[in-house]
Amino acid sequence: MDFAECFRLLAGRLREEIIVTSAGNCSELWWEITRESERVFYLDASMSLASLFAAGIALGTGRNVVALSGDGAFCMNPGMLMVERAMALPNLKHFVLSNRCYGSTNELPMRFPEHVDYAAMARAAGVERVYGFATVEGLGQALDEILGVPGYVFVVLDVEPLRRQLPSPPLDGPELKFRFGRYLERTLGRRIFDEPLHGNASSPSST
Amino acid sequence: MEKHAQSDAVAATIADAAADCGISLVASLPDGWITSLIQRFETDARFRHVAVNREESAIGLCSGAFFSGIGALALMGASGFLTCIYAITKINYTYQIPLLIGITLRGRLGDPAKFHQSNGLYLEPVIRAIDIPFVAIERGADIARLAAAFRHSRMMARPVVVGFTREALRGEA
Repeated sequence: MDFAECFRLLAGRLREEIIVTSAGNCSELWWEITRESERVFYLDASMSLASLFAAGIALGTGRNVVALSGDGAFCMNPGMLMVERAMALPNLKHFVLSNRCYGSTNELPMRFPEHVDYAAMARAAGVERVYGFATVEGLGQALDEILGVPGYVFVVLDVEPLRRQLPSPPLDGPELKFRFGRYLERTLGRRIFDEPLHGNASSPSST
Repeated sequence: MEKHAQSDAVAATIADAAADCGISLVASLPDGWITSLIQRFETDARFRHVAVNREESAIGLCSGAFFSGIGALALMGASGFLTCIYAITKINYTYQIPLLIGITLRGRLGDPAKFHQSNGLYLEPVIRAIDIPFVAIERGADIARLAAAFRHSRMMARPVVVGFTREALRGEA
C-alpha cells in the first residue's frame, strides 16, 4: 500500500492514542501529515527502541499507546517481541511499517525481508494477536478491532517506499520532551516533571 | 551468615533504598553478581520487574516510563552497559531524559574472571568519556547513595550510573 495513504488513514483514526514514532520515515511522514507536536514523541534520534519506549509510557496509563516503527528498526532488535509478549500490556499497539528499505537513508534496500516473515516471527514469539495488511482498505476495516479490543497487538503494514526524501520534525530534543510531557501531565493528571528544587519560599535554605 | 544469605540481605537493602526513592519499575538483564538482586526485584511486590532481551531495551523501556511518572532502574552487568552507549547518548542525551542505571563493576581488582579484562580497562574510562555522573557503591553504607543518585539524575535531566562492587553485593564490605 502507499505509505502516505496508510499514514493518512492512521492519522485520521488514531485520535485519542498516544503515539511514538521511530527514526526515519515514520517520524518524518507523521510530522509531514499531521504537524502534531504534543501527543506524539518523535523518537527520531534512535532506531529499534520506539516500541519499548512506548511500553514504558503504556505502563502508566490506560490509554492506548501506539508505536510506529520501520522494519529497519525492527530488524535491529527483533527480540523486543519477546519482552512485549511477556509484558502483555493491554494498551500497547505495535505497528511495523515494512517498506523493505532504509527510507531516510536514500532508500537503500534491506536484504532481509524477502526471506523473513515478520508476522510469523511475532507468532513464534508467542504473540497471539498478529495482523498483517497490504492494503489501506484492509487496515481500515480492522483498525477498530486492533485499537478497541484490549490486548497487545503486533501489526505488519506492507507499504511501498516513499521515493522521496523528507525532513525530520523540526523539534529539538528538550522541546519535544516538554511538549510531550506537559501534554501527558495535562491529560493523564499525573506529575512527570519535578517541582523545582530551589526557590521554594518554605525552604529558603535549599537554594 | 552464609554467602548467599549475605547477598540476599544486601539485595533487600538495595530494594528498600530503591523503593524509598520512588523506583517502582526495574528492567534487568543478568550478571552473575546481581542474581540475588534481580530475584529480589522479581519477587518484591513494590516493583514491577521486566526481564529484557538486551540491555538497550532496558534503556528504552525505562526512558519511556519517565513519561508515565514512574521511577525506574535499568539494572545490568558492566558488559551490557557498554552496549548501551548508543541508546543512552541518542535517547537520554538528545531528549534529556533522566534515568538511573545500575551496573556491576566487573574487571576491578579481585574479579577473577579473565573475560572481564576489557571492563577492567575500559568501563570507567568510557563512563567518564560520555560524562555520565558515576556513583560507586563499594560498601554497605554506600547503598544509601542510591537515592542521591536517583535525585541527581532528575536534577541533571540525564542518566546517572551507580556501580556495585562484588564486595558490596556480597555483604563483605
